[in-house]
Amino acid sequence: MTRVLIAATRSQMEPVVRELYRQHLFHIEEFVEKDSKEYEGYRIGTPLPSANETSRELIRLRGITSSFGIREDEEFTGSRKMSAAHLKDVIERELPLLEGETEELLAKRADLDAQVKEYEQKIEALRSFQDVPFDLSLLGGFKMFSIYCGYITKPLSLDVPHEIFSSETKKGKFIVLVVHQKDRASAEQALLEAQFQAVAIPDESGVARDRIGFYEGQILAKKGEMEVVNRKLEEIKTRYRDLFLACHELLSADVEMAEAPLRFATTGQSFIVEGWVPTMQLEKLREGIHYATGGKVLVYVCEPGETPDIPPTEYRNPGFSKPTELLMDVYSRPQYTELDPTLIVSIVFPLFFGIILGDVGYGAVLLVLSLGLRRFLKGEGMQKLITILRNASIASIVFGILFSEGFGFSLPWEPILFSRHLNIGTHASGHGPDVIGLMIMAIWIGILHITFGRVLGMINHARQDHGLHRVKAVLANLGWIMLLWGILMTIWSMFSIPMMPNLTGMPPIAMGLNLAGIGGLVMIVLGVLFIAMDSPLEVVELPTILSHVLSYTRLVGIGLSSVAIAMVVNFIAIGLIIEPQLEDLTAVGIVLIVIGGIVLVLGHLLNTALGVLGGALQSLRLQYVEFFTKFYKGGGRKYNPFGMKKRFVEE
Amino acid sequence: MADAATTVAATEMTLEMVKASQMGMKALGAGIAVGLTGIATGIAEMAIGSAAVGATAENKDVFGLVLLLTVIPETIVIFGLVVGLLLLF
Repeated sequence: MTRVLIAATRSQMEPVVRELYRQHLFHIEEFVEKDSKEYEGYRIGTPLPSANETSRELIRLRGITSSFGIREDEEFTGSRKMSAAHLKDVIERELPLLEGETEELLAKRADLDAQVKEYEQKIEALRSFQDVPFDLSLLGGFKMFSIYCGYITKPLSLDVPHEIFSSETKKGKFIVLVVHQKDRASAEQALLEAQFQAVAIPDESGVARDRIGFYEGQILAKKGEMEVVNRKLEEIKTRYRDLFLACHELLSADVEMAEAPLRFATTGQSFIVEGWVPTMQLEKLREGIHYATGGKVLVYVCEPGETPDIPPTEYRNPGFSKPTELLMDVYSRPQYTELDPTLIVSIVFPLFFGIILGDVGYGAVLLVLSLGLRRFLKGEGMQKLITILRNASIASIVFGILFSEGFGFSLPWEPILFSRHLNIGTHASGHGPDVIGLMIMAIWIGILHITFGRVLGMINHARQDHGLHRVKAVLANLGWIMLLWGILMTIWSMFSIPMMPNLTGMPPIAMGLNLAGIGGLVMIVLGVLFIAMDSPLEVVELPTILSHVLSYTRLVGIGLSSVAIAMVVNFIAIGLIIEPQLEDLTAVGIVLIVIGGIVLVLGHLLNTALGVLGGALQSLRLQYVEFFTKFYKGGGRKYNPFGMKKRFVEE
Repeated sequence: MADAATTVAATEMTLEMVKASQMGMKALGAGIAVGLTGIATGIAEMAIGSAAVGATAENKDVFGLVLLLTVIPETIVIFGLVVGLLLLF
């Protein structure tokens, strides 16, 4: 990355912004107003004059696309991109008409919707009166009589002259009660005792049942009208969808360009913009700006070290490890000066996954799954994740062949690496899993992985730090390596461990220790000294050397538990349910065989899910916790060049 | 070997019985190792898990990171599993 400073008069602002946007190379370093002397007189820029109108247009367009349910990340149905000039014309002439039409239709639909709601409410109010056989207008406007309508839950006993209509409903007994005005008090007392709940009398004329029918007819009519409006809207959507998408892209780009000066430093007559360009692309940027402005712009290239800011980071990895950048970003993007471990992770992660889930069957299922999902899952992140899963599943198949395993069954050859077959079920035979061998293999992997991490730590500190601190930091990392191998040497000199060097044969020299043991002790002491020299507090961390190495035994532990689940599923489904039925086939037996089959499939599905989750998380954890803590800091900024890749619009 | 068998028989225990009993003890030990470490992991993950859900609710981007933080105490149960495996085989 190279720091570049572009300065020109204000009149050149628009061509410069357009060119930078088109090139999609320049990472703008945002200008912040400061009080210091160097920045005196500089202010944050104001948006280009077109900003207001363009953003208003964009907001209107967004309103419409969202009412159609069109999302910005949707794909084009048409095959060709649209030209920018054509789109500008459309935005000016056709779009306002379309917008007007759509808004009108939407308003009409909202209006119809409101009317339907109103009718529905009226029907709701009339529902209580549906059994009342007389005109509802007769229930109001009397001076001599009081009328009560509502539900009672207890029997009503009234000793004043009255007339009553009642009908049984689900909510209770519905009554319409008419009493003389002078008997009101006693009527109300009686109603209270009957737990009367009043219902408002609807302002309607005619029999309730007829009115309900009338409103239902109205609702049907309005719904029909709405159908017509909806069809028209749908027509607009299918016809102009691509156009909306393209216009949206063009307008978003225009707004982004118009607002770019908000990140510039400006004075009355000039502006300055600072940012980063990949060094390889520097000439392209310079020439482009020169060409676009006729050489009226100063492009100043800063020397490295001239600015205190740390450059943004962009990955540079071979295509094979590109998807793994996703896993790096989950942790933290590397800093500009730091070693980028993406390549290492992209190799080691699938290997660890394979060791944990080494099974031809599960690997094949995951491989098919990842190839199948590639079509359906969109988005860059998802595609990367699927590629990572694909690589991991291939590793799983390879290790499945080495372990001779497929869905928990042993394949027709002897395990090439180590046996992970457990003695589960009636057919169990052989000598069981080689747990000791597997454990020692895992510990070896841990020792090598951690040592490698520490070596990378030495390189990182040598590259990044200066002076005395650099020497101390490099020595501290060396100290950790010496401590690890010193402990190993001492152990080897005392105990003979399979698959590890045997140093017990050497003649003892002092304190019962032989040459290797004493060498190991010296390394331990030196290692602790080196670590303490850098930071005495680090000495507290010494026990982690043991726990981190032992942590790699998870490669075996999780793997064996996955094998155990697979074998148990096989034993339950085949050994306990299916096989006994096959000896003497009956109708019930066939049902049981089907059930056995379901148990088998469900069990293996569950174990596949567990295996992916366990394999991926544990393998990733070994990278993040055990490996990265040795050398990696992260915290880099993302290189985010100004501009965007246009999908629908052709310049 | 024959001597050992006769002495064991004298105390009304056959060699097979002793072996089976030892095997049972080993299985018990393995079970206790996995069970207790599993409980310990559960307790440790309890606090991390609830904090992780809270953090994800505020900012979905941290999902990957907090998922990893949640599985960190799994080391405890894995050590238990390893001890169990070493006991059994």
